[in-house]
Amino acid sequence: MTAPVRPLPQPSAWSAPFWQAARENRLVIQRCNACDEKIMFPRRYCPSCLSDDLGYVAAKGTGEIYTLTTQMAGPPSGFEDLLPYVIAVIRLDEDVQMMSNIIGPGALSARIGDRVQVDFHPVPGTDTVLPVFRLAEED
Amino acid sequence: MRRTTSAVIGIGEVPTGKYPERSELDAAVTASREAILDAGLSPRDIDMVLPVGALASRHFNVDLVFSRLCEELGMNRSAKMNCQIMAGGATSSAVLAVADALIANGQAKRILCVHSDAVGSLPRQAGIDLFATTGVSEEWEAPFGHNMNAVGALASQRYMYETGTTEAELAAVCVSLRKWAMLNPNAMFRTPLTIEDVMGSKLVATPLRAKQCNMLADGAAAFIVADAAEAGSHCEMPAYVRGHGSLVTHYSISQERDLARLGFPEAAREAYAEAGIGPDAIQLASIYDAYPVWPLMSLDGLNLCRGERAGAFVAAGETSPGGSLPMTTNGGMLSQGHTGVGGGIAVMVEAFRQLMGKAGERQVANLVNAVETASGGTWMDSHVTILSREAA
Ligand SMILES: [Zn+2]
Repeated sequence: MTAPVRPLPQPSAWSAPFWQAARENRLVIQRCNACDEKIMFPRRYCPSCLSDDLGYVAAKGTGEIYTLTTQMAGPPSGFEDLLPYVIAVIRLDEDVQMMSNIIGPGALSARIGDRVQVDFHPVPGTDTVLPVFRLAEED
Repeated sequence: MRRTTSAVIGIGEVPTGKYPERSELDAAVTASREAILDAGLSPRDIDMVLPVGALASRHFNVDLVFSRLCEELGMNRSAKMNCQIMAGGATSSAVLAVADALIANGQAKRILCVHSDAVGSLPRQAGIDLFATTGVSEEWEAPFGHNMNAVGALASQRYMYETGTTEAELAAVCVSLRKWAMLNPNAMFRTPLTIEDVMGSKLVATPLRAKQCNMLADGAAAFIVADAAEAGSHCEMPAYVRGHGSLVTHYSISQERDLARLGFPEAAREAYAEAGIGPDAIQLASIYDAYPVWPLMSLDGLNLCRGERAGAFVAAGETSPGGSLPMTTNGGMLSQGHTGVGGGIAVMVEAFRQLMGKAGERQVANLVNAVETASGGTWMDSHVTILSREAA
């Protein structure tokens, strides 16, 4: 029996640029060209004005932890070998939110309000690259 | 204040737990039969059936959609409509609001609302994976290992951060619920539980421990909503539907910007105003749980703790048997069991049971008004319903 495969994003026509940028180690945010709304996650139409004139802008790649948890047991299929891992909601400095993982030094003791910096994690055996976050270096 | 248009006049429920030999259909018709008989009705008195969504078996859910219960219960050519209502965990409040509106508009006189599911008999990993897709974004959340226990954990962390609530206070919610479940023959967990038992159980997703995570279960419950004008002729003490408020705040929890409150303050304001009943006049809180953080957040939003922090209020025993505000007296999903959509239905049926004076050992004395709450998916919405022994 082979191990279950972790779920991977299946990009839509409008989200494909986000995942392509991640493969190039860039974090981007969808933006409405009609009303300037910053949109996360990418949508088919602008949720503010329903325009279909949408594009992408570069994100700074920094933000803070809005909330987080360390998964210790009972993960969904495909994540058994990754325990313990940290799931977090990141509020980016552009004031949009996204779910991600906290990785690297200090991840297991990260706290709400900690500053974070984006990094990129290629999922082994796939062409998916996930934007993940590390605790920011102290200034 | 709104004039009362409907009331619940009959309830039915089968025990919650692991019952692999009991089919969903068996449980559904048994609970429905009990509710119809409890209301003193016969099947052909029912003019609408609103079965709520079932998750474990697609085939059974399709049967619910396609009038199977009407045929099984003798309502062919008498029921005017069979229509599924589904809002996940919020279906309790949602189906009652729909039934109340159908009756107010003269579309129906007596409506059967029923839930049955067998999520407790799914293999354990299938249960985890099923609930890792209910309101979890496949593209934006599932790839990071998100799942339902993490939803409860993410909300707990933010709530604790903003309010100063402690892990022991979260554990106190589980203990309060268990004390009620010990008096409930339909509950799955009826053995004593202490704060130490909860705090000593295995960590699942920080800060949540195993005994703060609900257990999936099989179960069914049903109730009859009738025109308020005739309710008193069927039932000694009907549970009148007085007010409802609700707000959808997100689909994916990572897009929620006020995770320590959600929409409960707004929903409560709307429900209290419609009912003409304020928090000081509430004697029973039937609060959707699933994880201990949600009752605390709901108590805060409903302003039910006399200015105290909800965590301190629960830890002081105020919501336990003998306390000043009995809460979720069936034991909630944490102790009665999480039957999918039905966890919330059971919490609401318990409020009806209390108002109808049929709660046995758990009966709350001097009860007039009760509040019920619910939320679906990853707590995508906040519902508040006010119920009463008195019509307006
Ligand atoms: Zn726009």
